[in-house]
Amino acid sequence: MKFPWRYLFAGVACALGGSGTALANADLERHIANASNWAMQAGDMYNQRYSKLNQINAGNVGKMQVAWTFSTGVLRGHEGSPLVIGDMMYIHSPFPNKVFAMDLNQQKIVWKYEPRQDPAVIPQMCCDTVNRGVAYAEGKIFLQQADSNLVALDAKTGKVLWSVTNGDPSLGAVNTNAPHVFKDKVITGISGGEWGVRGFVAAYNINDGSLAWKAYSTGPDDEMLIDPNKTTAWKDGRVQPVGRNSSLDTWQGDQWKIGGGTTWGWYSYDKALNLMYYGTGNPSTWNPAQRPGDNKWSMTIFARDVDTGMAKWVYQMTPFDEWDFDGVNEMILADIDVKGKKTKALVHFDRNGFAYTMDRTNGALLVAEKYDPKVNWATHVDMRSGRPQVVSRYSTAQNGPDVNTKGICPAALGTKDQQPAAFNPSNSLFYVPTNHVCMDYEPFEVEYVAGQPYVGATLSMYPAPGSHGGMGNFIAWDAGTGKIVQSKAEKFSVWSGVLTTAGGIACYGTLEGFLKCVDAGDINKELFKFKTPSGIIGNVFTYMHRGKQYIGVYSGIGGWAGIGLAAGLEKDSDGLGAVGGYKELSQYTDLGGSLTVFALP
Amino acid sequence: MKSLRIVCVLALLTWAAGAAAEDKLYTVVDGYKVDDKTLEGFRTWRALACDRCHGANQQGLVGPSLLESMKRLTREDFRLAVLEGRLEKGMPAFSSSDRMVKHIDDLYAYLKGRSDGAITRAKVEPIR
Repeated sequence: MKFPWRYLFAGVACALGGSGTALANADLERHIANASNWAMQAGDMYNQRYSKLNQINAGNVGKMQVAWTFSTGVLRGHEGSPLVIGDMMYIHSPFPNKVFAMDLNQQKIVWKYEPRQDPAVIPQMCCDTVNRGVAYAEGKIFLQQADSNLVALDAKTGKVLWSVTNGDPSLGAVNTNAPHVFKDKVITGISGGEWGVRGFVAAYNINDGSLAWKAYSTGPDDEMLIDPNKTTAWKDGRVQPVGRNSSLDTWQGDQWKIGGGTTWGWYSYDKALNLMYYGTGNPSTWNPAQRPGDNKWSMTIFARDVDTGMAKWVYQMTPFDEWDFDGVNEMILADIDVKGKKTKALVHFDRNGFAYTMDRTNGALLVAEKYDPKVNWATHVDMRSGRPQVVSRYSTAQNGPDVNTKGICPAALGTKDQQPAAFNPSNSLFYVPTNHVCMDYEPFEVEYVAGQPYVGATLSMYPAPGSHGGMGNFIAWDAGTGKIVQSKAEKFSVWSGVLTTAGGIACYGTLEGFLKCVDAGDINKELFKFKTPSGIIGNVFTYMHRGKQYIGVYSGIGGWAGIGLAAGLEKDSDGLGAVGGYKELSQYTDLGGSLTVFALP
Repeated sequence: MKSLRIVCVLALLTWAAGAAAEDKLYTVVDGYKVDDKTLEGFRTWRALACDRCHGANQQGLVGPSLLESMKRLTREDFRLAVLEGRLEKGMPAFSSSDRMVKHIDDLYAYLKGRSDGAITRAKVEPIR
């Protein structure tokens, strides 16, 4: 048994498509259409993370050099990326959630916003004090602060235009997600699945911050904005209306009120269908014995009408979660061939280790295959019911509380966590940053106390046994057939969002701190590698300024994978042999938030 | 001389036994089987997810190693830190948790046992 380290952890989310006449937000759309900008966190509304820029390409990326760097002055995990609109770059930081507006012509800070937030928020955040970035539209920068306040800033001056409170941090309802602008609304979610927070998404009008609609993940139909006769789900091999009380009937008693289903991922939007897509997180607690039932609609892909919030369709990946396989990972919208048929697809790499290809118009299940061959908790997804077929020996519910279920793959971190994948329209492949980590999971009885952690399992995670010994893979995936096309082993989890470009490259960061660009045609060809100041959990982005293309990424180790680095794993006196794994990260990097921007000489 | 030595040893033993009876925070057998109160301390540790910050083996994570800091904290320091928190350092206040209030001395005992090296693994079981 090679468990060189052991990390126990308890308590512990385009092409412009569509031909519809609806406006996605004319101003934002105009900025997205100009490839010089990086106007949304994913570059577009489809979550494709693809840029048409090709000045930096497979032939010359190897000559790339650092053009400039910038320190945020904040330690701990730096997720997301800056935005670029014209000559301005908007840089954000983890708690305290600073925003810097930088004039790229003079590389001068035009304004800086630093909110005053109660430090009591910090311990209410489960997995580091990350923030996944700001949004832009119509001259406003939207910041979703940790303390749940959603703030609109004047993009020219940094002045606060409006601010709304989205949750109650004293109850563990905090925020880490980026806000997303679709049409005239800025849409945000909530974190706190480890505090028993009841998940929701909320849409605020961008002009004044007034609430347009709010839709819960669990509970009565009207509070979920589910129409029992019109909202559909995949059942018996076809799309059918969900029927009445589709959530309430799958919970025991009032558990749904503290049942999680939080919404901290990356959302996408299809203008032609006027639908936004996102996933909901784990049901609370992590002890399945305390919440018998399918726990709908936790662990679910939601398609909602952006104007009304009404759910068009739902699909639950992991009914009755027993492993913390949050369903929040991003939904990537792409028009691809699926089993030989041109399809308006939604592609989702779930924490549970299965990659799902859905018909995004109606929620029909098309493909569900493992994107790491080590996934073992289920044999396969039954295509008629859409349910994963659970393997008894890896069922923490069947084994029961106070029993340590060992060797479950993937770990709670998932085969992928929030770190977003990218789509490459030139070959229709997806480039996916993955974790190659397994776990032991021991659930135990917990009581709910408002504002206190509500976890109920002790976990131990380690590199996938019987493999290459590393904890990550970077893969190229064919979502039309559900097959890994290429796989590149990485020493640590790949916890950085991927960028693909028309230059034939795919770029990602590593936990050791390397920015890597590989040949999109052969991902095992590493064309560029540079060691940034700290480990990378941010997303790679690109922009053009004064005729020159730049590629950038935040470094700043932290997040769930890197949180162990912040202190003392080397003080582990339990003789667990904590030598390798994430602990070994300390041999490569330390805390520190900065932006590194590259260009050709 | 010989008899004096025996008397001294006996006296020391008696004193040590008396002190242990008065101050005995925890009872541990085989390094992981503990008395009911210490077991409650472990359960409180687990229920309130202290390991989220202090590490599953109390070795420290984003929070300090309790194996180390329990060597310095008095019982009163400990009570204050846990119940009132140290917000500036990211330590929440647990006074709103009935379980914590009720079992804080048990938790203290469990963590002292870990810090002393007497309890040799984080997960403990009842003495049967």
